[in-house]
Amino acid sequence: MTMSAETLDLKDKCILDFQSLEASLNGQSKTPFHAVRKQAIERFAELGFPTIRNEEWKYTNLMPALKAEYVLSHGLQSQVLKTTLTAKDVAPFLVPSMKANVLVFVNDSYAPELSTIITTLNGVTVSSFAEALQRSPELVQKHFARHAAFENDALAALNTAFAHNGAFVGIAEGVVVEEPFHLVFVNDARRNAVLSQPRNLFLLGANAEATIVESYHTIGSHQGFMNVVGEVMLEENAVLHHYKLQNDAENSTFVGATQVHQEASSVFNSVVISLAGGIIRNNLNTMLAGKATDTHFYGLYMVGGKTLVDNHTLADHAMPHCTSNELYKGILDDRSIGVFNGKIMVRQDAQKTLAYQSNRNILLSPNATMNTKPQLEIFADDVKCSHGATSGQLDGDALFYLRARGLSRERAQALLLYAFAGEVIEKIRIEALREYVDTIIAARLHQEELKAA
Amino acid sequence: MLTISNLQAAVEGKEILKGIDLQINKGEVHAIMGPNGSGKSTLAAVLAGREDYEITGGSVTFEGEDLLEMAPEERAQAGIFLAFQYPVEIPGVSNTNFLRAAVNEVRKARGLEPMEPKDFLTTIREKAALMEIDQTMMSRSVNEGFSGGEKKRNEIFQMAMLDPKLAVLDETDSGLDIDALKIVATGVNKLRSPERAFVVITHYQRLLDHIVPDFVHVLYKGRIVKSGGKELAHELEAKGYDWIKAEFAEEIAS
Ligand SMILES: Nc1ncnc2c1ncn2[C@@H]1O[C@H](COP(=O)(O)OP(=O)(O)O)[C@@H](O)[C@H]1O
Ligand SMILES: [Mg+2]
Repeated sequence: MTMSAETLDLKDKCILDFQSLEASLNGQSKTPFHAVRKQAIERFAELGFPTIRNEEWKYTNLMPALKAEYVLSHGLQSQVLKTTLTAKDVAPFLVPSMKANVLVFVNDSYAPELSTIITTLNGVTVSSFAEALQRSPELVQKHFARHAAFENDALAALNTAFAHNGAFVGIAEGVVVEEPFHLVFVNDARRNAVLSQPRNLFLLGANAEATIVESYHTIGSHQGFMNVVGEVMLEENAVLHHYKLQNDAENSTFVGATQVHQEASSVFNSVVISLAGGIIRNNLNTMLAGKATDTHFYGLYMVGGKTLVDNHTLADHAMPHCTSNELYKGILDDRSIGVFNGKIMVRQDAQKTLAYQSNRNILLSPNATMNTKPQLEIFADDVKCSHGATSGQLDGDALFYLRARGLSRERAQALLLYAFAGEVIEKIRIEALREYVDTIIAARLHQEELKAA
Repeated sequence: MLTISNLQAAVEGKEILKGIDLQINKGEVHAIMGPNGSGKSTLAAVLAGREDYEITGGSVTFEGEDLLEMAPEERAQAGIFLAFQYPVEIPGVSNTNFLRAAVNEVRKARGLEPMEPKDFLTTIREKAALMEIDQTMMSRSVNEGFSGGEKKRNEIFQMAMLDPKLAVLDETDSGLDIDALKIVATGVNKLRSPERAFVVITHYQRLLDHIVPDFVHVLYKGRIVKSGGKELAHELEAKGYDWIKAEFAEEIAS
């Protein structure tokens, strides 16, 4: 059997699953929500899974990962995925000493018995996506698939078609939530290969502020595929601190899109940390739809083995006086592959735009590769934009300086890498999370004693 | 302590050191002077183990060991210290963390336990005060954003922390005003001892008024063309390097 025939299998299976899902909906198949899902499956059927002939997927070959016999988390066979994870199973995925609302999703279903909500403020709604849809269908429909387009994105289309599970976080106007929301997504692949598709919606009212941490995990030795779409609406002056933490197993494939819509003077701070996994593809897009917004995209990928990390970002400046600032750093070892595709779009009306982008990579092995492609499209004249990308080895002068002071080559190298990563780690505002990531990195570099200092 | 015999070194196929002979005994201070481009920094870098230079001939022994066989860190651990002409900025690595790692590596090589954190801080405070290094500099990244003078003082401060047997100072005086120069000289003089040797590389005689050398050598076009006592520095100051250039032009050309 050829590879493309097998690919067709998963595609057909998805379409078949959708049809049976639809048949089970009865009266609900007439809702506007479902109408969008229907459009999405049709689009998915047209597009199919992307191959490397697709420019957006040039370096990221999903084909091998599509071969597994996946059970769709919200499909025909989803009954077989009914799983019983205990608090002990998910404990390793929590961030020690981070005082947070923890929402656990297993095969994208919300697991309330494993979750802890500590915030009791009025104006804070946190639930599964399905529950939010049931409770406030108008509100959800107003945003659903309005921000995350699936027209040219097969995986977003597929997620949209099966949109049901995932997280909803709604923060009312003026409400500031101190405690982070930690969304823990677990694929339980102990008995089957699982394709789960969390759908998230975060709505922050004017002047609201919140912090959301997303992490993704695979249990078991079968393949885990997670295809996530998150839509984020930031009303005027809203502030969202958003963290993605990826430290998953080799048998995991992750494709995640976060589409942000920023109204005037809103702030979006994003830090994406990728430390391990099979294939990791992050799409992070923000639409600067109001004036004077502020956006920070920070990323660190530090991987080895055969891990592939692909970050696609877009800062879409549609209005004047907006600032976007992006720094992605990579450390690639062994046969790992990095991809960075950062696009800055400055539309005609976006005068006085400040847009900066930098991608810096260190290759530790001759077999590691980095593909970096900055894209600037500027249609306004009064703007300040810059971008830069470097890939190479550690600074030889710095290495020699440290060695000339008695540090071994390994130690000097570790110290420099630790400092290199530190520039992104320090952007994490939650102390417990920062410590957590720092500890993982220090341990990986055998720099525990320096960390303690 | 250090014996350099007929040392030759090249970079990118270009011969820079063309046969250097130098004997340095403990307790001695040797000054190496010479016009820009003579190979002074190259000699210092070769002694510290910089790998960009190819050793094309000769030998160097340090306390009976073949220095050229040793990695840079092994040389540092054995007690060689190079104060860089251009100290390197290392963003993200704090001075304190860096120094702790360095001090403990050097101690380990001498069979000593890592310094107690309390002792370490006390030592830092004491030596930093001597070099008029502000405590806030310690929490900053190594050399990052330091002024020229601060970088040079930081080198001598590191030297004081690492307690080397042989210190090579590469133009530590250049770019310093007279006050900074005096601080550096005081720091060096404090460390002078019968057990320790110094190689002071300088372009000007000025520094040697404060760090008085036992021997002065003139390095020109990759060779030591003249050696003498401290009065040689004064002679050079009075006559300038043209005198050397004229005298040795023929000899070197031939
Ligand atoms: N890394 C290098 N690559 C190429 N040329 C070099 C390098 N280092 C030194 N040189 C050359 O070697 C010569 C001696 O340089 P240097 O040792 O710095 O002299 P000094 O310190 O006496 O001024 C100069 O001509 C310089 O250009
Ligand atoms: Mg020099």
